[in-house]
This record gives sequence, C-alpha cells and structure tokens, in this order.
Amino acid sequence: MAGISKIRNWGWVLFFLAPSLLGLLIFIVYPITSSFWVAFHEWNLLSPPEFVGLANFQELWTDADFWRALRYTLLFIVMYVPSVFVLGLALALLLNTKITGISFVRTATFLPVVASWVVVSLIWKWIFNPAYGLVNYGLAGIGIEGPAWLFSPTTAMYAIVITSIWKDVGYIALLYLGGLQSISEIYYEAAEIDGAGQWQKLKNITLPLLTPTMFFVLITLLINYFQMFEQIWLMPMPNSSADRQLEVIVTEVVKNAFSYNRMGYASAMSWVLFAIIFVITFAQLKLQDRWVYYELD
Amino acid sequence: MNSINKQTITKMGLYLIMAVIVIVMVVPFVWMLSTSLKSQEYILQTTPQLIPDPVTAESYVQLAERIEIFRIFFNSAFVAVMTTLGQILVSAMAAFAFARMEWRGRDTVFLLYLATMMVPAVVLVIPQFILVRSLGWINTYAGLIVPTLFSAFGTFLLRQSFLSLPKDFEEAAFVDGANRFTIFWRIILPLSQPALATLAIFSFMGSWNAYLWPLFAARRPEVMTLPVALGVLQSGPRALTEWNIVMAGAVVTVIPILLVYLLAQRWFVGGITAGGLKA
Amino acid sequence: MSRKLGLFIVSLMLIISIIPAVAQDNVTIRYFTFSAAPDHLEDLDAIIADFETQNEGITVEVTTAPFGDYFTLLQADVVSGDAPDVFELNYENFVTYAANGTLLDISEYLSGDAPYYPRALEAFQYEGVQLALPETFSTVLLFYNADLFDEAGVDYPTEEWTWDVATLAAEAINALGEDTWGIYQPVQFWEFYKKAAQNGDCEFFNEDMTESTINSEACVETLEMMMSFMENGLMPTAAELSGVSDSELFLNGDVGMIVTGIWMFGAFAEADFNWDVQIEPAINQHAHHFFANGVAVSSTTEHAEAAAAWAEFLTASETAAQVRVDSAWELPALDQPAYFENYLELTPPGNREAVFLALESPVTPPVIERQNEMQDAVNGLITQYVDGMLTAQEALDQAKDAIDALIQ
Repeated sequence: MAGISKIRNWGWVLFFLAPSLLGLLIFIVYPITSSFWVAFHEWNLLSPPEFVGLANFQELWTDADFWRALRYTLLFIVMYVPSVFVLGLALALLLNTKITGISFVRTATFLPVVASWVVVSLIWKWIFNPAYGLVNYGLAGIGIEGPAWLFSPTTAMYAIVITSIWKDVGYIALLYLGGLQSISEIYYEAAEIDGAGQWQKLKNITLPLLTPTMFFVLITLLINYFQMFEQIWLMPMPNSSADRQLEVIVTEVVKNAFSYNRMGYASAMSWVLFAIIFVITFAQLKLQDRWVYYELD
Repeated sequence: MNSINKQTITKMGLYLIMAVIVIVMVVPFVWMLSTSLKSQEYILQTTPQLIPDPVTAESYVQLAERIEIFRIFFNSAFVAVMTTLGQILVSAMAAFAFARMEWRGRDTVFLLYLATMMVPAVVLVIPQFILVRSLGWINTYAGLIVPTLFSAFGTFLLRQSFLSLPKDFEEAAFVDGANRFTIFWRIILPLSQPALATLAIFSFMGSWNAYLWPLFAARRPEVMTLPVALGVLQSGPRALTEWNIVMAGAVVTVIPILLVYLLAQRWFVGGITAGGLKA
Repeated sequence: MSRKLGLFIVSLMLIISIIPAVAQDNVTIRYFTFSAAPDHLEDLDAIIADFETQNEGITVEVTTAPFGDYFTLLQADVVSGDAPDVFELNYENFVTYAANGTLLDISEYLSGDAPYYPRALEAFQYEGVQLALPETFSTVLLFYNADLFDEAGVDYPTEEWTWDVATLAAEAINALGEDTWGIYQPVQFWEFYKKAAQNGDCEFFNEDMTESTINSEACVETLEMMMSFMENGLMPTAAELSGVSDSELFLNGDVGMIVTGIWMFGAFAEADFNWDVQIEPAINQHAHHFFANGVAVSSTTEHAEAAAAWAEFLTASETAAQVRVDSAWELPALDQPAYFENYLELTPPGNREAVFLALESPVTPPVIERQNEMQDAVNGLITQYVDGMLTAQEALDQAKDAIDALIQ
C-alpha cells in the first residue's frame, strides 16, 4: 500500500512540477550551462570560440576594473538594502491601515515601480541637475551649495541610492502587504480576546508571521541588487567621471560582452558573481531556521 | 478630552506623512506628463515649467506618425497578458509541489531554482537567442512569450505564500475525499489571492517593460513591443531636442501598467478582511 | 468522415498549388541598417523601389536597429548562423568584421565604373581585399554663431585660421556676458586624435603598430592645449554644462563656436540666429575627422550576386545619391560634383563648400582589434586629467600602458 501511494505521490509531484521544471531546464538551465562552457573560452561571436582554460578567471583576479566594480556593488548594497528593507516595512504597515485615502497613497507609491528605469532616470537626472534641478534648488534655499550630483562617483552613488529607494519602496511595501494580508484573522482575534494592544500584536503576531515574507524580500533584494544594472548604466551624466568610473559588476559584464566582444571574459565574470550570490543566499537559507517562522506555536 | 486630541494629532501626523509621500511619488510623473503636452518650442527652457502653456497633444500625434503605435501597443499588451497568465499557472503549480508536498530532493531542486536567479540575464541572451532561432521562433509571439514563462521568481514568491497557510487544510480536505488538484484549485489558490495578485502585477510589469530579450527576438514591426520601438525613436540625432515626444512615449508606456495595477489591487484588497492594524 | 477527408484533400491541393507560385526565381535579400531609422525609412524605400524596378526578381527586405544596439544584434545574427545578406558597418567596426572572415570579397561583383572616392574605397579594404563599399561620409567642422561674432566685433573664421586666432576670438565672445561661452570642443578620444593630426608630431602608435607613442611630448602638449580652453574659462566644464548637451548650448545661442559634425545641419536649422561653418583651424596643419559608413555582403550569403548588386546600387547609383543629398541623409562617398550641386545651394549654413574642403585633410581613427577597450581606457584617463586627478603626462603614460596591453 505504501509503495503505491508513493508512486501516486510522485505522479502528483511530476504533474505539478513538470511544466515549470521542463521549461526551466530548456530555456534557462541549458543557456546557463552554455555560458559556463563559454567562460573557459575567448569568443567574439564572429569566429568560433577559442579554448583558453582558466585564463579568464586569472585575468579577473588581477583586473582592477573588476575589483572596483565589486566594491561599488557592495557599497550600493550596504547603503540601499537596509534602507529599503525598513522603509518598505514601515510603508506597508501604514498602507495596511484603514485610514481614508490610504488606497490613493498606495497607488501613488506604486507609480515609480511601474515606470521603467529609462523613464525614471530621465526624470531624476533632471531633479539632480546641479544648476536647474529641484534638489540643489532646495538645498540653496537652506544655504547649502549642492554638489554636482551625477558627475562624480561618490555623489552619484548617493543620488542613485536615493532614486532607487524612491523607485522600489512601493514594490517592497507591496510584497510586505501580500504577507501582511495573508496572516490569518484567527491570530488577531485570539490576541484581542487575551487583551493584547497594538504594539503587542505587532511584535508577537505580525512581525513573526511576516518573517517568511521578510525572508523572501531579503533574498530577492540581495539576488537582484548584486546584479543591478540599469540605474548605473543610465543615471551618470555622459562623459563625466561618474560615467567613466562608476561601474558595478553587471555593467562590466555588459561592456565586455557587447562592447569589447569578449563573451568568454564576460561569462567568467558572471560566474564569479554567481558564486558570490550563491554563497550569500545559501548562508541565508541555512540561517532562516533561526528567525523565520512559518507557523506560530 | 486629552485622548481625543492625541488621537487627532496622530491622525493629522499620519495625514501629513501620507501627503508628503504622495507628493514625492507623484510630482516627477506630473512633470513627465506635462513635458509630453508641451509643444516643441517650449522644451528647452532653462526655468522648468510645471504646467505647460499652451497645452498641446502634438507630440502624441507625432509619436503615432513615427512608429506604428497601435500595432506595437497591441503586441505589448498581448504578450504581457499571455505571459502573465502563463507565469501564474506554471509558477503556482511548481510552488504547490515545493510547499505542500513532501518528496525526496525537494529542497535541492528548489535550490536549483534559486540558483537560476543568480546568473545575470545578459550572458544568457546569446545562448537563448541561438536556441530560440533554431526553434524558428524569432519574430513570433511564441518567441517572446514562451522563454519568459519559467522565471524562478514567481515560484519563489508563491512558495513562500503557500507555506504560510496552515497545514490543517489539506488534512481536512483529504478526509473529505478530495485529491491534490482539487486542494490546489479550490483551497490553496483562492486563499492565496494577495500573492497571486502580486505576482500578476510583477509578471505583467516585467513583460511590459522588457527591453533586452524583445530587442533580440522581435525586430519586425508585426511583433515589436513598446520599449524597443521607443528605443528606436530615441536614437536619432533629433531626439536630443524632442523631449516632448520621448515623454509622450513614456506616458503611453506607464498608463497601461497603472491600470493593471488598479485592477489587480481590487482583487488584492477584495479578498481581505481586517488583517492588519486599525487606525 | 469522408466529407472531412475530402475537405482536407482539397485544402491540401490548394496549398500545394500555391507553393510553386511562391517559390519562383524570386530572390529576397535581407538588408540590416542603423542609419535609416527612425528618420529615413521612406527615403530608403524610395531607393529600394528603384532598385527592384531595375532588377526584376530581386526583393529587398529591410530590418533596422538603433545604433547603440546594432552591432550586438548583428553579432547575434552572425553567431546564430543567420547573418543578413547585406548590412551596414561603420569604419571602426569594419576591421573587426573583416578580420573574422564575416565579409564577402565584393570586388568580383562590382561593375567597375562606380565613382567612389578612392580614399573612401581604400578605407574599406582589408589586407588589400575589398570587403565593403563606402556608403556615406560625414565630417566635423567649426560651427560659429555669426550674431555673437558681430556683437563682439570679431571677423568670421576663415580658411587660414589657426587655433591661436580662434582663442582670441573665443576670448572676445566670452567677454560678452556671464552666460556666454567662447567655444566648445570636447576633450575626449576622437577630438584628441584629430588634434594630434593637426599638431602633426603626435602619433598614437609607432610605425609598425607594436607600441603606443601616445605619451610623447607632442601629444602631452596637444592634450594640454585642448584643456586650456576650460582652464581659461572659455569653455564650460561638465558640471557647468549641467547636463545640457553641446548642441543645446549652441542652439540656445550661448556659445560662439562649436566643433561638431555636419549631421547637425538639420537640427541647427531651427536656430533663431545666423550661423555658418568653416573648416577647423590648424595647429601646424589642418586635419578633419573623416567618418564613413560602409555596406558589406555577408560571407555566408546564398545570393552573392544579388546582394552585391544591391550593395553597389545603394552606395553608388545616382538615385541613391540624389535621395541622400535631398533628404540630408548623410553624403554619398562619390566623386561626382554634379550630385552635390543641390546640396551646396541649401542654407543654412551658407559655406557648405567647407564640407568638401575638409575632405582634403582627412583623418581616420586609429583602429586596433580591441577598439572599444582602447577608446574606453583612453577616455577614462582623459576624464581623470580633466577632473584634475592626473597631470596630462601621467594620464598619457597610463594610456600608453593600457594600449600596449591591448595590442599584444
């Protein structure tokens, strides 16, 4: 009896899993293995790939541009992730209330999310414009001379972090909202019967039950932002030192793949990035037992 | 008396915060809209003007003249809708297998899914392009839709959501004689509407705004999508001074997703009772 | 059941009968271009229409892409075994494609009497083999705001001007007001190699291209000269420009002189002041950018003759030349003054002869196989010099090291 139900179980697993897994294998995993193979070659796409063994990886080790890109990527993550993680949660808690007009606010926060980075960068380049933009105009009003934001690497970083938070906070809040609203009523009713106040409800029910969502948000943020690309590609002012020096890993990958015709080197770089992300995610997965609750006791 | 004042102050404080948030979020887009409604001569002004004077729709007319806007709009819409439906179905089924069923190797396979999200998409484009070309799907809707159905993100999102539903549901349903699929379709999915709505929004948005893959896979006007068409528009030397047309294109791109969001939001909120803090 | 079967057989027969009609001697040539979109698709169609009339049985199918994405897409096509039959190339990328065997030797298909500029034809030869045909050329000139010159009481630029004279003029115009600048000439790679040629003693490479000589005394001098405009307040820095492009600066009437390409004639026609062009001033001699686009036939094409016929028609026929000139869609690289008569009549600018005068001192970019990496490296170092983080000598020393590494 157990044998048959095991087979039946596998039958069901396959039924549910097959479309996704098959598609993934064909359209994602196969190209991934392809790119892994390419990482050991020098390939300009016009001629057949040339095997070079570990040369690309060795070159990466001593490539100053790569290390600079890694530094900037880490810098961005350290500045951006905690900010948007916390702000998104605060915003979600606010949006989850029943104040009149709150759904209007919710829609407003989602506007930046739906716009593409092409549009957002156009708008914010203008806002950060040193001579005509709102930011420096406001700063001048309180007596501070604003810097040439998107012209030099450090100030450009700040500007891009701010723009990214503006763009993404609605998205993060939405993810949290999904989690918040999935928390079963039962828990709150039981707590109310026990006489719990707002703060206690938050601490003992909401936050713990929100941890699966928080876990999802954290992992998604890290995976996505190690691979960040568009804002660094679009925001710095053309031909400024921000433009020439502010690079993250994926912009280096794109440059090497499509501008320098070095597909092999670009693939090698992507795989090093993958390794970094993988290790970090794996660590998070292992750590999740310590802080993620899927059900309340 | 005091407690009422305190409540009023809190409320007013909240309203103030809300107002600030709305302004911060919305003003940049108002500027975008207003630029699209300006006529050519007024764009290169050094003092930015928020309200255009005169208001004109000529940039939209010019937009329609330069690119086959209706066909391209339809392409984007069709591809986005099919991609969203496909992604939701495929991801929900896989998430169900990961979250509500026990099987050997489950966590390892899930790790594989996660791992696929960690490789930058840019290096995959060329192998994917060669693959899709050999399938004969270049410049077809299939080529735009099918390869994008299998992102691990949707599966991950729904898995987390499915995991947070109490386990008792299945047991009760089994006792009643239901099979897996019924549980999936009639219990898990309806209870996960917020997460499904969230995924719907992101899927739609991802497909609607996608530039890199459609650039390679759909170059003919019959299948071209909006971002690629706008990219062509922005590439000529005249684009430097024709910001109103560029912004018109941006407006046309943003409005549909906003509508989708408003629609999905209703689905999202509708299935909810008092789940959170009360003000 | 039999009814359905009958229907099926009839449909099958209909389909089969259509096929022969389609699979005639008709040859379809696929042409990929970046210069036609978004502004000149109709002009291209006009050229195609004429070609198809003169060549029955050949159809030309056009695909376009924006310049920024064009070469990526072209490479993707080549690598997936589906290269277009005919495609456009610019001069800098020509060498890469030629060196990798992707281009067909077109010389055997040429009619032989097409009036190409010899220099242009040579530009698209690789190791002596004609691998592409010159399609259009453009050049870079000195544009000046005549009204500002009048206001400052300075004579207009002449063919004999040197940069010393130009500097004096810039100073006079700059003095007109706080928001008025004397000149704008970007400090970057393309301007640098041209200025190097104007200097005459600065070479980027040694004779046999085995070593870079970009850090020679003459080159350092040239770079410092380019920077002097900004140092002396005659030219705005990037921060002072604040995101306004040099073209916008000129169109707003805020700068007296600007060095830019003839492709801006159309955009500048909107200016509300008088302007004109002149050949660039000399340092020790004249030198002007010569940018050329070419058209090549894929080495994997199945219709070499038809493809070559289209390539030649597109680049050398009278129809194509007229269409281009009339629509200001770059200039055909043909030695036929008659074609350019209309072009010379148009204003603004009035001094269109300068366009052709500039051709007497052409400079092409130094091209190596790892071209983009070299450009990025040099530009990166020049920017550091402009920002004051390196001296000119330091920047060029590092540039030399970078370039040497790339030509290994």
